[in-house]
Parts: sequence; C-alpha cells; structure tokens
Amino acid sequence: MTSSNGTRLLSRNFALPGQANLDTALKRGAYEMLKRALKMKPEEVTTVVKASGLRGHGGAGFSAGMKWGFVPKDVFPRYVCVNADESEPGTCKDRLILEYDPHLLIEGALICAWAVQAERIYLYIRGEYFYPTRIVQRAIDEARAKGFVGENILGSGWSCHVHLGTGAGQYICGEETGLIESLEGKKGWPRLKPPFYPAAVGLWGKPTIVNNVETLAFVPRIIEIGAEKFLSYGTPKAGGPTLFSLSGSVNRPGVYELPTGVPLKTLIYDCGGGIKDGRRLKAVIPGGSSSHILTAEECENLKMDFESVTAAGSMLGSAAVMVIDEPVSIPRLMVWMTRFYAHESCGQCTPCREGTGWLLRLATRILEGRGRRRDLDDLYELAENIDGKTICALGQAVAWPTKSYITKFRREFEALIQE
Amino acid sequence: MPHLEIDGKPVEVPAGTNLIEAAKRLNIEIPHYCYHPGLAVVGSCRMCQVEVELNGRKSIVVGCNTAAADGMKVFNSTEAIHRIRSGVLEFYLQHHPLDCPICDDAGECDLQNYYLLHGLHDSRVELAEKRHKHKVHDVGPTVVLDSERCVLCSRCVRFCREIAGVDELGIFEHGGDSELLNVPDKLLENDYAGNVVDLCPVGALTDKDFRFKRRVWYLKRTPSVCTGCSRGCSIYMDWETSRSYKNPQRRIQRLKPRYNRDVNEWWICDRGRYSYHAVDAGNRLTAPRTKSEGESATTVDAVLDRAASKIKAALSKHGPKSVAVIASAASSNEDLFLLKRLFADELKVHSLDVTLSGEPKGKEDEILMKADLTANRRGAVEIAVQPWGGGGVAGDDILAGALDGDYEVLIVVQHDLTRILSQKERNRLGQNCEYILYLGTHENGMCHLADDVIPIAMWAEREATGTNFQGRVQRTWRPFEPRGEVLCEWRVWQELGKRLGHALPAESVADVFDSIGAAIASFKGLTWEGIPPTGIMLTGVSEPPYRKVQSSRPLPAY
Repeated sequence: MTSSNGTRLLSRNFALPGQANLDTALKRGAYEMLKRALKMKPEEVTTVVKASGLRGHGGAGFSAGMKWGFVPKDVFPRYVCVNADESEPGTCKDRLILEYDPHLLIEGALICAWAVQAERIYLYIRGEYFYPTRIVQRAIDEARAKGFVGENILGSGWSCHVHLGTGAGQYICGEETGLIESLEGKKGWPRLKPPFYPAAVGLWGKPTIVNNVETLAFVPRIIEIGAEKFLSYGTPKAGGPTLFSLSGSVNRPGVYELPTGVPLKTLIYDCGGGIKDGRRLKAVIPGGSSSHILTAEECENLKMDFESVTAAGSMLGSAAVMVIDEPVSIPRLMVWMTRFYAHESCGQCTPCREGTGWLLRLATRILEGRGRRRDLDDLYELAENIDGKTICALGQAVAWPTKSYITKFRREFEALIQE
Repeated sequence: MPHLEIDGKPVEVPAGTNLIEAAKRLNIEIPHYCYHPGLAVVGSCRMCQVEVELNGRKSIVVGCNTAAADGMKVFNSTEAIHRIRSGVLEFYLQHHPLDCPICDDAGECDLQNYYLLHGLHDSRVELAEKRHKHKVHDVGPTVVLDSERCVLCSRCVRFCREIAGVDELGIFEHGGDSELLNVPDKLLENDYAGNVVDLCPVGALTDKDFRFKRRVWYLKRTPSVCTGCSRGCSIYMDWETSRSYKNPQRRIQRLKPRYNRDVNEWWICDRGRYSYHAVDAGNRLTAPRTKSEGESATTVDAVLDRAASKIKAALSKHGPKSVAVIASAASSNEDLFLLKRLFADELKVHSLDVTLSGEPKGKEDEILMKADLTANRRGAVEIAVQPWGGGGVAGDDILAGALDGDYEVLIVVQHDLTRILSQKERNRLGQNCEYILYLGTHENGMCHLADDVIPIAMWAEREATGTNFQGRVQRTWRPFEPRGEVLCEWRVWQELGKRLGHALPAESVADVFDSIGAAIASFKGLTWEGIPPTGIMLTGVSEPPYRKVQSSRPLPAY
C-alpha cells in the first residue's frame, strides 16, 4: 500500500470518484468494520485500539486507546465529540477526510462510541469549512437513512445519534474544552484544569471522548488490519501512518500519508519534490505554527515521529510541515505568527490576552525597523511570562515559536534593529 | 481533614478547601483578582499561582482551583513565584491607564497593592501604546464603568449570574479587545447591583453614590447591622467627620457588606446600601418640638416633664385604660424592654403594641430582601411588646379607639399615623386625644399632629441590639454621637420613668441588655459582652440551615 507518494491506508479511497456517496462507499467496504466492531465487546475494541499504538493526530499525540479507557464506570450518558475544528496554520489534512471520505470518519466515530458506550456523537466542524460541512451533513443523513446511525444500529440493539455543529471562526474552539463549551452554546473559553480529561467531565459534565478527525478515521482501519499490522506502519510508540500537511517552499505541497517516523527528507524531497527553484532549505516548522522552528542542520536526519521531533527540540503536533527556504524573513514570519495568535486569543486569562498583543507590537516594531536593542530580550521575557502560565495551551503555542525564532535566528532580528 | 504546610507553617483545613482559603487561616495572602469565595472558580487572573509539592513532585498550580491535600507543601513566596506574579502584573498594567490620582479605588485597589508586593518594575510600555476603551460608561442607574481600568476578572459577571440571577453584564469581543459591558439592551439594575462595586478588585466599577466623595484612606470603619428590613445584614459603616468642609451634612460615606455566613454572606441589597442617606438627611429631627403655650423652642426636659404630668393626670383620673402606646418594631431590644417595663409592668397600661396593618411593606425575594421593613419585629415578639392581660388592645384597635376618644394620652414611636389616616381622621384624633407624644427620627406629618415631639437616635448613632427574623441577636457599634438634642429611645423611657416615680436603673445599653438576659426566657444566658460580631441565636431557637446561594462546583481533588 505504499506508493511513490506515500502509504495509502487511510487515504486509499480519497482519489476514487463518489467516495462521499454512501452507495459507492458501501461497494468499497464502508461500515463493514462497524459491523465487525459491533460483534466485539466494547472493551475489546478499546483494547485493540490501545494495542495499535494509535495516537491523537490533533496535536497532543495522546494515546487514543488510553483516553477511551479514562471514561469512568457507571456514569451515563456519554458522548463522543469529533474535533473537526482544524485551524492550526499549516494543517489541512482533516478537510480531505471530511470532503473525500466522510463515511470513514462516521464509521470511526461510531466504533469509538460503541467502545465507550456513548449515546451521541457531536461533530464540531470549523465554521470556515462550509463546503465540507455540507458533504458531512449529507453523509450523516445517508447513513441515518440506511440504519448505520440512529436507533438500533444494524439490529445490534445499540443506538447512537450523530449531530453536526459548526464553529463561528475561532481557533480556540479546537481546544477540546473550548470545543465543549462552544457545543454547549457558550463562548468558546477553554475550561480550567483540573479536571484534566473531558473523558471524565466533559460535555454537560458527562464523560466525553474528544478525538481529532484523523484519529477516528484510522479506527476502522485498525479493526480491519489488526493492531499488530497497524503498529507496523509507525514506530513502536506511535502506530500507523500520519497524514502530513506539507506546505511552504516545496514544489508539490499537499497532504501525504506516510508511516509515522518517516525521515523528514523523504517528505520534503521525495513527496514534495524538493525546494522551489532548487533553493537552500533554511528551516522547518514541523508540527503546525505553534511548534518550535528547526534549523536546516537540526532537520538533517530528523525522523517524523513524536519522540524524535521532541528530542530535536520541537513537536510533531498536527504534523503540518512548513518548509522555509533562504529568502524567507524570520522576523516577518514571527509577525505573521504572532498576529494569528493575538487575534485568536480568547481573552479569558491574562498572560495570553495581554501578552499576545504585546508580542505582536514588539515584533511589528522590529520588522518595521523601529526596534530597540532591548526589544529582543523583552520579547523573549514576555514569551517566558506567557509560557505555561495560562489556562489552555494557546499560551505555549505562541511562546514556544517566539522563543525559538529569537534564539535560532537572532542575527536576522538584530540586523533590523538600528542603533 | 488534610494537614498541609504553607511557607513552612502547618495548618489543618476541611477537605475541599482551596489553597487561597487555607492560606487565609495562617494570615498568608495568596494574591488574586478573579477568585472570590462566594463565586464559582474560573482561574483566569493567574495571580494566585503557587508552587506545590506533594509526594516529592513539584508543580506550579493556581491556588484557587487546587484543593488542599494531606502532606502538601505550598510555597507562596519563592523567587520563582514572585517572578511569575510580577510577569502577570506587568501584563495587567500594560494598558492600565494612569488614573490613580483621580481613581476612587486608589488606596483599596488590588492592582496598587500587589504592584507594591510583587511588581515594582519600570514600565516597558510607552504612553502612546496604551489601548483605549470605554471610559465613564453608565452600566446602570447606580454604577459607572471605566473599561480601561477593568482587569476582566469577571467577578461582576459571575455575581449577576450566580447570585442576583440576572444576565446584565458580560465580557464581549475576544483576545486583547475583550471588554466588560452591558448585555445588549440591558442595564445593571438588579436589586443587588451595588455589590459589583465591592467585588471589583480595581476602580473599574464605581458607585455613583460614592464617586469622588472621599479618598478611602480618610474613611473610618465601624461594623454595624443594616436596619433596612428584618434580615439585619452585617455591614460596615465607612464614615468620616473630620473634613466637614467637603460635605457637612454627610457623616456616613458608604455602607459595605460585612461577611456573615448565616445572614447575608458577602452581599447586601441596594435598598440597604443606600439607606444611610436617611441618617444625615435634611429632614432629620435634632431638637424637640411642642405645640403648647405658643412656645417656639423647648427642651427635652420640658417635654418630658409635660409628658410625665399628662400621664400622671390621666392615670389618676381614669386609670391605665386611658393611656395607649403604639411602639415601633424598628426600635432596639433595649428600647422595647424598657418601654415594656415602664408601661406594662409599672404603669399597667394594656393598650400596647408595635404593629399597625397600614405599615409600609417592601419588596421580598429569595436572596436577602424581606418585606418587613422593620429591623426588630422578632425582638418585639420575644420581649412581648404586645397587648396583654384582659383589657389588652392591639395596634389597629388602639388607633381606632384613639379616634373615638378612648385615650387621654397616646404615645407613638416612629409610626407616621398621618400616612394611614385621612385628613378628617387626623383632625378627629387631634381633638379627641388630650395629649399625643411622638418619638421620631425625621420630620413628618406626626411632628405637626403631636403635641410634643422628642427626636430619637438612629441605629448609626448608638449602640444597640436587634433580633432579626431568624432569631439572631446582633449588635451595633457607635461611630459618632447623635447631633443636637437627639436622645436614645431607651433613655427617654428611663427619664420618663424617673419622673413618674418608677426608676429603671441602667447606666448603659450593656446594663439594659444584661437585664433582658435575666428577665426574658429566650434571651436567657445572653450578655452584652457575649454577643459575637456576627450575632448569636436566641436561646432555644435553632440555627437556620446554612444556605449557600452560590452555584459553584466542588474542587477537583489534587
């Protein structure tokens, strides 16, 4: 299943016509794995997913099976939330699943719901994805009409309803507790932790599994090929392939499905066709805009799995690889990045609300040539004052890249600062 | 009961107590803006971060959302914590306006206080960079908002939703544009609106009533009890008399709620909050008045002499049936006790009551406000200031009888009968009653109807006890003397008793209260010295169940 442009496990039906259509999808085996899973005990499904090494593809990389196991006994009702609020700059993989194989996602979510005995699934799609939203809504309606969703699914006696909700254009609603608040009809302010896991206290205070689209879409494949085989597509600590969103200065940007742990060079040069116009690689942002930037040297032998990228000083995150070549100005990149986070800060807690705007102001000042010598140290210190001091991870998401841009490309900033 | 250590000091707290409350027990302050013990925990201000060590694992947590655990070590004053707080404070002050010299909250502002403790950094922001938001924005009839000063702690928003049960304030927009404002088309006009000013840790929400009146460091604070209704909320009177050139008529500057778990928690209603205006209102009575002999001015002594001789004459001519007293449930326990002693026990007057059906009633709700606008009806019942013996006559019948000429002497305390009676009835009362003595606090129709008027002190001007509707005895303290020739009511009865040959020995309020303790069953065992600041239940009356009005979730275990 590995071709010149990747492994085709999850994405094998993407290019085939009519996959979003239930009748066509059924001919290609859609919902077969749901039937198989319904014949298993719920705990067995969780055990298989745990054994498969499937980790969350939303950014945190938390073991999916373990998360499902956190659901407290005897607390009902339970819910499954599908996080389709894909908003991290550089990330565009979930959109393909929503558009090209929505039934795979619904099937995966249903298997998850069976495993945790949830009675309702909420799909939360970002507001900007109005086209995918229409496709998914149609897919849900089709599946409901055919008895895959709703009362007494496939005669198993188990019922599960699927609802679709859309965001209104806020990055923070992709944070799992922000998503839950938004689903509850409130402002998408992330919840205070602890309690840490929505699996224990989630939607309307009930146990809730929040998983990313890609994570859930892998689940039918795990049932299909078995945990062991699935594990072999990745590393021992992270089973299965990953959808890499490749963007930036490459000849063939796009989404590539590759085994987790693939060398970065394979992704950039084999799949992406190398850097545009044969220019030199300057740096790579390996896991979405909130990850630390890595210099060309640091990328030399980098393998794209959670542990290796973390060891290199960054994170795999949502596996959105942004390739930066020589002419790109890092101070300009920083302004772009801080502008995004300053705009997306929800404003609930102080360091992020006040800090992101301050970072943007300083970064802009430096880029415009009005910077002062101390601004660089101020930037670093302010990022330090945000980092880890906030309610949700958005604080780190702005602090980490900021600190890495300044430390790794200080000279570029200094060149802009005139005495 | 977890045992923990905060900055090396051991403390034991009930399970579920958070670290801020645990530290309070050791008089250690963990700084915070958004946390309030009466409101849900949101953990958004990030000031209360502390270092916690449990089972060898160290981590930095917010004190408000962390439950004390057995064996926990909390570090509140390490270098790392100081740096974190200093960083958070700098974020707060980034866009904060330089308003301190004209800000009403200066002197009791948590931004100022914590800056001195944890900040003391130089500003890295240029004045031109400061963001501008709404200033002098009316959020309601009593409260003004300055958005630039707001730290977005959301206490006021949570108060409105969780305690007052209304949706009047909210935080709108997001990120750096976040701003506290009215919910569209709504004003902050619930009956508890003033509490948001107390809750505001900075000068963002200010009370129109107090704005620009006094710098807070000039204020003196005396604990007291609100007399606006029969609940008797614990309050503080903030008063100042030395700068009389500023506003000579105003001694009390504001009332603030005083925490009392069993009566009012942290809150008071606006009806009570602004009730202090009556104390120094222009129509306060400060001198006795008389209709007799064309006197333009008189003295309290002269009035008392005349009242005593009128009573004596009536009693000797027609007996105790010719005297009636309409007392007031707004009077203190001591007033009522001496009144009862003199008229019921000594003079055997049967027509004695505190209740008239025409008395004004107020709004009542589920939170604090009671419909009964008198502070001490329960006390009147306990002391039995009511018709007694065979010929006892109740309030309404006393009034009816007085109109028919049944009484020669009618003594009225506080009740403005002219609001109950028609003009025709007023004239009849004046003609049919030989002598009317009125004891009151303010100029009203009674001052013209009565033959003699004695001005009496209000609660703010004297020490006294009251019994609230629950049966809780609470005392007040006296910050300043009454003005003019104003007397405490119990002194009036004592002086009158002296003139009628019935000594009611008492040197002070404390003496009177202690005699109540000795004489009245439900006060048995209570002494003046023994009344705690939050009051004490009557003997044999069980504590009302502790009713927490808030809707807050339990803290997750650490």
